[in-house]
Amino acid sequence: MADVMNVGVNLEAFSQAINAIQALRSSVTRVFDSLKDGMKNKETLEGREKVFITDFQDNLQAVNRDLTELERLSNLVGRPSESHPLHNSGLLSLDPVQDKTPLYSQLLQAYKWSNKLQYHAGLASSLLNQQSLKRSANQIGASAKRRPKVQPSTLVLPIQYVDDVISRIGRMFPDMSIELFRPNGTSAVLLVTLGKVLKAIVVMRSLFIDRTIVRGYHENVYSEDGKLDIWSKSNYQVFQKVTDHATTALLHYQLPQMPDVVVRSFMTWLRSYTKLFQTPCQRCGKFLQDGLPPTWRDFRTLEAFHDTCRQ
Amino acid sequence: MGVTCVCQVPVVEGKSVQQTVEQLHKRLEQLGAVKQGSFFVDCETYHATTNTGAQPSKLLYVMHNSETPLSCLVLFDGGPTLAADANFDVLMVKLKSHFQNAKGHKVESRGARYRYADFLIKVGTVTMSSSARGISVEVEYSACVVPGDCWNLMKEFMQSFLGPSVPDLPSVFSSKAEGLFAPADCMDTMNQYLELFSKIRKQQVLPGSGVR
Repeated sequence: MADVMNVGVNLEAFSQAINAIQALRSSVTRVFDSLKDGMKNKETLEGREKVFITDFQDNLQAVNRDLTELERLSNLVGRPSESHPLHNSGLLSLDPVQDKTPLYSQLLQAYKWSNKLQYHAGLASSLLNQQSLKRSANQIGASAKRRPKVQPSTLVLPIQYVDDVISRIGRMFPDMSIELFRPNGTSAVLLVTLGKVLKAIVVMRSLFIDRTIVRGYHENVYSEDGKLDIWSKSNYQVFQKVTDHATTALLHYQLPQMPDVVVRSFMTWLRSYTKLFQTPCQRCGKFLQDGLPPTWRDFRTLEAFHDTCRQ
Repeated sequence: MGVTCVCQVPVVEGKSVQQTVEQLHKRLEQLGAVKQGSFFVDCETYHATTNTGAQPSKLLYVMHNSETPLSCLVLFDGGPTLAADANFDVLMVKLKSHFQNAKGHKVESRGARYRYADFLIKVGTVTMSSSARGISVEVEYSACVVPGDCWNLMKEFMQSFLGPSVPDLPSVFSSKAEGLFAPADCMDTMNQYLELFSKIRKQQVLPGSGVR
């Protein structure tokens, strides 16, 4: 109510102020008119000057009066625009034809959205800065000149060496069988069979793991033409989830100087899935959540958690 | 095809078979399971007519399962099993002189099929000569192939909609000598159904449980 009252008073003051401005302008015009006309024809020179000066003084006094009046009124009008949170655009809300031009409500929505966007973007950027993925951090961190030098040395490793590393890892874990294929040239593709739980296809580039996909033990890993099927995902939700987590693990285990350590850590991590269906979640103690067993394995402790139970 | 467990669910006291089944459906839907069509499993019994001496005549069971619509599954009493083409039924007619159909012994279970994550749940009404005798629930966890591995997990799932009346590890699995690996065909499942059917057949007809 107070607002409405205020606006009413201000409007009255406004109209008075406008009148005062008009009066001021006309009085100023009169001053210049009289100056332009100059002295009127009178008998004596003195008489002429006297009349002229009195007229001029009267006119100036009128200007002064009107100016004081305007100043008084301007105090009354105040500054309505600044009291509104959206400054001048707040005046849009005074538009009586809301239904036809909903500018004001649209403006408010847009404002809210941009505020939210800024807030979330801020959060995201602070989070990303904290836990930058090591692979991308490397690309940004290492100077652009040094990068190409590092790559060739680790990317072009003798085939013999790769075979060696893989077979050593295979001997380390007896419950995990690793088969090595080279379907297209020198790049190796590993088929890892873990107990009677799962099969994982690991696509390598030299000793870098490029991509991995996890399927059920009884799912087909070969496509119709007898080649390893490295693209289609598992039919089971559990293994789709495990594939996601394995991809996360690829990004986690990165150590460009010692690629063999990376492969070994990844295989150690993958091996913790051997009890995928037998281990309850370490946090909630249950086997199932949303119909899925604990699919997440901690990168350091290898403990089992549900996707939503970790941290 | 993963690990399957078939069990009988007791009819809730003061309710009909139909009402109990509906209650189960409701609980599954509350859990988030999605209905995916229907299923049936049936079983016919045959007597061997070439009975020699004092031995009681061996029984032969011919079963069908809607999961394998083109096959016909044959089980000997405590003997070998056989998966044949669907027109094995016609062959049985030709073998009338050796195997006689036991009339009125046909049992079947029909009902709805639900999917929840990697679980497949089939709630069926077991009928014998057009009277409802009980409720069968089949739970399949398709992602795992070793019954011993995922049994606790399945038990927890079954508890979530069956309550405390959860069965033990089916004897089909525990009696298996080497490993606990379920073969790719559905013989283990059919064996469990057969066990359930013969249990139900021996039961007294429950008063007021006829099909309406």
